[in-house]
Amino acid sequence: MEKTIEVNKLCKSYANVRVLDEVSFQISRGEVFGLLGANGAGKSTTIECILGTKKQDSGFVAVLGMNPQKERKKLFERVGVQFQEGNYQERISVDELCKVSNSLYKNPLDYLELLKQFGLMEKQKSLVSELSGGQRQRLFIVLSLIPNPEVVFLDELTTGLDPRARREVWKILLKLKEQGLTIFLTSHYMDEVEALCDKIMILKKGKTIFYGSVKEAISSSPFNQLEDAYLWYTKEEEEYESV
Amino acid sequence: MKAFKALFISELKLSLRGLDMFIFAICMPIIVVVILGAVFGNHPAFEGANYSFLEQSFGAVATIAICAGGVMGLPLVVSDYRSKKILKRFQVTPVRPSLILAVQVVIYTLYSIVSLILVYLTAAILFDFQFHGSWVVFLGAYFMVMLSMFSIGLLVGGIAPNVKIAGAVASLLYFPMLIFSGATLPYEVMPASLQKFANVMPLTQGIKLLKAAVLDLPIESVFFSVILISLIGIVCSVVAVKFFKWE
Repeated sequence: MEKTIEVNKLCKSYANVRVLDEVSFQISRGEVFGLLGANGAGKSTTIECILGTKKQDSGFVAVLGMNPQKERKKLFERVGVQFQEGNYQERISVDELCKVSNSLYKNPLDYLELLKQFGLMEKQKSLVSELSGGQRQRLFIVLSLIPNPEVVFLDELTTGLDPRARREVWKILLKLKEQGLTIFLTSHYMDEVEALCDKIMILKKGKTIFYGSVKEAISSSPFNQLEDAYLWYTKEEEEYESV
Repeated sequence: MKAFKALFISELKLSLRGLDMFIFAICMPIIVVVILGAVFGNHPAFEGANYSFLEQSFGAVATIAICAGGVMGLPLVVSDYRSKKILKRFQVTPVRPSLILAVQVVIYTLYSIVSLILVYLTAAILFDFQFHGSWVVFLGAYFMVMLSMFSIGLLVGGIAPNVKIAGAVASLLYFPMLIFSGATLPYEVMPASLQKFANVMPLTQGIKLLKAAVLDLPIESVFFSVILISLIGIVCSVVAVKFFKWE
């Protein structure tokens, strides 16, 4: 199977503190990959090294067979990214933000169609700052899909969404997955991970403590729920003793 | 080009929505012209001068917009876009984050040019302003001043660790330059000691060049100004490019 994302022995330190320690994984075309772990476990750093916005100390990264730092321009025609914090100009409207994103790519999708799909059509003229948390989150997913990407990176994609909106987003993502979109996501919601992900990796202090399917994650733990298994995997040593 | 155009339109709209530049770069210079014209009228600049006070001040007033955009607008927008991680968002698209900076420079250039035209029209229509010298020399000097001021702005915005510090440094540059370089308070009416202090500021030197161009004064006396402004422009641009932080 074609490898869409390949990460091999990724290491990164900040001021002598190891934040990523030999992280390796592969994601095939059309797969949904979930990167899990507590805040500060190294998820965002992993994404940034894959995207080339941060340089790893050692290790190998390829997205669609390209080096993200050397082939930036070519690569990002085919990759969509939604960062954890939405980054937008003060006083910019939904429509303006979409228009600008649209202009950055050679073959963008019709953003009006995407706004409609994500239930933001009537918000087109609103300022981004006036949207509710959920609406803003949906808007940033729309922006990441504008390039008509082959791979999309969604950092905490449904944080701030209400349950119905989350289900809607899942539905759309699963549909896109069927069409061959590769999805790299991070999430703190285990129901979401179970519903979407083919493969997951759990990070703890920059180290891989689990890599495999959701099913395997559950079966190699003493529990039968992913959330329990996740908590078991990521448990701190001190806590562990007191149990 | 498509990206540049879309960004230009949206950033210009955002800038106009902000109003600060409209007030400081467009309205304020016109108000200064009206005040100078009303107070000094068409009196000669000094006993026996063959040009008016307003003509003498024209070059200075024309730089108010450059000053507002270069050392106030640019550094703030650059550091704001960096701290909001807007530049970072552009890093994960096919265009470079530098595109958005180029768009800003073009927008502030536009403000300066519009301001120059409006200042000229106000002075010419209301106060019978006469341009004695060469427009070519004037525009040459004008763009030189613009380059040096904008490079100072990019430098401040590019290396200031956050918006607060960028704002503080911008104010520290903006207000003294605006007040003491002759852009609002005429250089000629300042005491000699203050003139000495004002002389080290690049804007003062730029205004001397512009004044020479408007009044058709010999350019030799302003040779030092040319050197100083070019030097500042080059040094700041190089440092800004070299030490620019995207994040």
